[in-house]
Amino acid sequence: MKITIITIMCWLLAMPVISSQSESPAGADDAEVRKIIREIDELYRSESSYSVIEMEIVTPHWQRTLNMDGWTIGMDKTFIRINEPKKDKGVATLRIENEMWNYLPKTNKVMKIPPSMMMSSWMGSDFTNDDLVKEFSLFEDYSYELIEVEDAREGIIYVNCIPREDLPVVWGNIVIAAIEDKYIPIWMKYYDEDGKLMRVCNYSDVKNFGGRLIPAVMEMIPQTKEGHKTVIRYLELEFDVEIDGDTFSLRNLRANK
Amino acid sequence: MRLFIKLAVRNLFRNKRRTFIAGSAIGIGLAALIFTDALIIGMEQNMIASATESYMGEGQIHHHDFRASYAVEETVNNLPDVISRLENEDMIENFTRRTMTFAMITSPANLSAVSMVGIDPATEKKLSQIDEAIIEGNYFDGNNKRDIIIGNKLAEILEVDLGDRVVMTVAQAHSGDLSQEMFRISGIYHFNIKAMDRAMAFIRLPQSQQMLGVGDNVHEIVMKFKDGGNGRDRSLPLWERYSTDGNEAVSWTMLLPELDAAFEMSQFATYIVGLILFGVVSLGIINTLFMSLHERMFEFGVLRAVGTRPYGMARLILFEAGALAVLSIVIGAILGYIITYITTQIGIDYTGIEFSGVTFRELLYPVMTIKQFVEYPILVFLFTILVGLYPAIYAARLSPAQAMRRSF
Amino acid sequence: MLTLRIAWRNIFRQKRRTVLTVLTMFGGLTLSSLSIGWADGTYNRIIEMFTRNRLGHVQIHARGYLDKPSLYRKIEDYSIVGHTVEKIEGVTAWTPRLYSAGLASVGEKTAGVQIIGIEPTCESKSTHFEKKIIKGRSFSEAPSHEAILGKGAARTLHASPGDEIVVVSQGADGSIANDLYEIIGIAESGDAAMDQSAFYLHLSDAQELLVLGNSIHEMVIIADDLDAVPEVTERIRQKLDDPDLEIAPWQEFARSFYTAMEADKKGTWVMLFVVILIVAIGVLNTVLMTVLERTREYGVLRAVGTRPPQIFRLVIAEVAMMAAVSVVIGIALSIFINYMFSIHGIPMPMAFTYGGIEFTHYYSEVNAHSLYVPAATVVISALFISVFPAIKAARIAPAKALRSH
Repeated sequence: MKITIITIMCWLLAMPVISSQSESPAGADDAEVRKIIREIDELYRSESSYSVIEMEIVTPHWQRTLNMDGWTIGMDKTFIRINEPKKDKGVATLRIENEMWNYLPKTNKVMKIPPSMMMSSWMGSDFTNDDLVKEFSLFEDYSYELIEVEDAREGIIYVNCIPREDLPVVWGNIVIAAIEDKYIPIWMKYYDEDGKLMRVCNYSDVKNFGGRLIPAVMEMIPQTKEGHKTVIRYLELEFDVEIDGDTFSLRNLRANK
Repeated sequence: MRLFIKLAVRNLFRNKRRTFIAGSAIGIGLAALIFTDALIIGMEQNMIASATESYMGEGQIHHHDFRASYAVEETVNNLPDVISRLENEDMIENFTRRTMTFAMITSPANLSAVSMVGIDPATEKKLSQIDEAIIEGNYFDGNNKRDIIIGNKLAEILEVDLGDRVVMTVAQAHSGDLSQEMFRISGIYHFNIKAMDRAMAFIRLPQSQQMLGVGDNVHEIVMKFKDGGNGRDRSLPLWERYSTDGNEAVSWTMLLPELDAAFEMSQFATYIVGLILFGVVSLGIINTLFMSLHERMFEFGVLRAVGTRPYGMARLILFEAGALAVLSIVIGAILGYIITYITTQIGIDYTGIEFSGVTFRELLYPVMTIKQFVEYPILVFLFTILVGLYPAIYAARLSPAQAMRRSF
Repeated sequence: MLTLRIAWRNIFRQKRRTVLTVLTMFGGLTLSSLSIGWADGTYNRIIEMFTRNRLGHVQIHARGYLDKPSLYRKIEDYSIVGHTVEKIEGVTAWTPRLYSAGLASVGEKTAGVQIIGIEPTCESKSTHFEKKIIKGRSFSEAPSHEAILGKGAARTLHASPGDEIVVVSQGADGSIANDLYEIIGIAESGDAAMDQSAFYLHLSDAQELLVLGNSIHEMVIIADDLDAVPEVTERIRQKLDDPDLEIAPWQEFARSFYTAMEADKKGTWVMLFVVILIVAIGVLNTVLMTVLERTREYGVLRAVGTRPPQIFRLVIAEVAMMAAVSVVIGIALSIFINYMFSIHGIPMPMAFTYGGIEFTHYYSEVNAHSLYVPAATVVISALFISVFPAIKAARIAPAKALRSH
């Protein structure tokens, strides 16, 4: 379950999303690229948000689809409650900065998760702890440049992002394909430092959520593990909503919606 | 006195073959004793060395709760004081400081839980053998703060090589905040000890202190004595002296109690076999002395008849026993020396074998001591004399007439 | 036969010589028999305690489990396997086990644990689990949401019998496995590292928690006789005949312990060899003496017409008889002494506890090994050495012999 939460976490945290270039690659200049990267950094950020998410996890041994409600304030506070499937209904997680608590309705118990445990991988998670605590901004912590790729499609630009040398991430580089003019990513490919493709994240089903155009579906596929996949679908997504401060409290963990 | 010795020797050598065979039997017993003792000492030293020299040291100092909880906050109390006292401590040869925490290490391919240890390479080198176990890369050459050394098994699990990028995550002291840093594999070691090859990662001490938010503090001080015996001595006042102010100082015997116990066990088992050995040998002694006695029964009768007192008869036999003992000791000591010496040159291969939580890392060499060549021979001598009492008393009790009447 | 009768009478004629010879022979036999009995006894005791305590003599897993443990590498329908196994000759008991990782919480304290599902009745018959309980009690026979913690785990969680404990893990169907249990006891298995994270549940409770139906990860089997373990393993393999199952004896799954024991044993064998060597030498000496001393006697025999082959046979027969008598006495004595020591043992200077079992004494044991090896040594060395003087005796020129002494 922890990983489910971690998975949610990573999506609701600053997911570096790259915007597209407004001009063709040949004519792009540095200032433009920087502006785009910054826009993408901000894409998922807001003062607050409310979402209804469906997460489908596929592993060689089982498949599950979870339905959950999520609330966030900035980057520090998150609250999630699972609605479906029935077995896990009512399970809730609260995260305030680096502390995390779980509520399990079956045992009516609120459990604080020790920091060390937040790291280990339980379920068929396709996300590394990188994703959990990553508070890095593509803008601040990476260097980026436009590149050419084989099979380049019309209207798509490709950006190669390289992390700063001492950044605590394991990737060698991340290549992003995005739609020109719209700041909408199509896919992100993560490579290790030897140039081996480690995982691919596909974006699709662009919708208008409160004025922003955002892909509603993200599919993360690890390249080195067979039969694993995680798909996240935003069913609802609202930004800058009024959220009661009490939401991010231990008491709220136990409350039934 | 010299007369008796001469007599005894001459009597013994009257039947050279029997004397030599008996002497050899006893001699072999002595040689076996010498060799086994040397082997056990060697094994003990080897195991202690394997345990203490590879990483653990002969003594450690911690916060008194640290070993139970491994909490990041529980660093050694009054560190500057402890360090200055250690520096002035005569019996300590070297010591070093370490941080130790539970951490997660990630690579592009995988992640793993490890023990992250922050070390001071210069002093650490004198206490552990990590530098000698390096098979790829180097042991903290230069001063790149992003250097990290891991075991070959861990490198396999993470699918990384020299120069690859990894991220280490730990929880900081007090706040529990997560702290992450990037490192590059600068060295890979192979200890042939599962735990170390699989679940440990070493970085520079200042780096770890920073990541953990412990300032200048450390979790562990590891010490080595000038005299190895001190490490084994639980009653050493040093342990008490440093177990103050909320710290505890322990010797390796307390960290590896099974090892200690295993030694006691094998020592005792050897005593038992030794006893049995003596039993067998004593049979041989009695055997020889009685045979020689019967051969000369007529002679003894004559001796008694011409006035030798019982005491004199017994003395005769005892001197023979003594002479036999000396002969055996010479044979045994030479044989024992040769066998032990040869083995010290070639060694016995126990490497890789794990015993009581310690893995043998080097060839086993027996250790010869003065004690083996002085104490044991004396023991054999006394024992032979002791056993010789039986035939001696028998000879003393002989009545001349009966003795002279015995025939073949 | 006449030779035998004469030989027999000769033996008793020279009482002292005979006694000395026989003494050396049976004394040596008994002593070396003791050494072997001791060595074997101690080792077997250690192995028995080590394996019986927790690991068992034979283990069954799904193929690949030992290499890479996983929740999904399971043995299904374990009771069928169990019932098949228990009917196999040489099997004393079997017990099923289930393993998974989880997070446990008592009050405010949380810690990572290893969930171990055990079947109380089977476990008690096999590894005497109830003896490991140091506080509280062991499981009820029927699953009742009871939990037992390892000593170290209980310490970390500040837990005692009576406390409530919550455990969270992942079900085999991917769901969030979580439930509430009552701690009824604390156990010490002897493996301190394991006790640091051990969380025992009744097997059925564990299966329900982890959605594992009727599956387990490990089946531990106890055999009647330690020495028969390899055969029993083979029989199990043949009876179960399932390519998806891996059946291994303790020598394989506890490889490092096994190699350490073997290495230690080799050392002891060297010692034993020395003992036997000394015994052989002693016998040699005595027999040689006995025969050579009687040169005059043989001279007389030859003079009165005994033929060389007859003298040869006579010498051999005498030695053989003495050897036979020694062997009988020696074996009887060895059995007696070894038996006494196998029951009582010698107290160790420093007793220690391992696996909840206290090692206080050294024990010997009675086995075939400790009897036939020394017996063979004595008989063979005696007969071997008597050949030379026998030949010599047979070849004696009567006149020369009569002239000696």
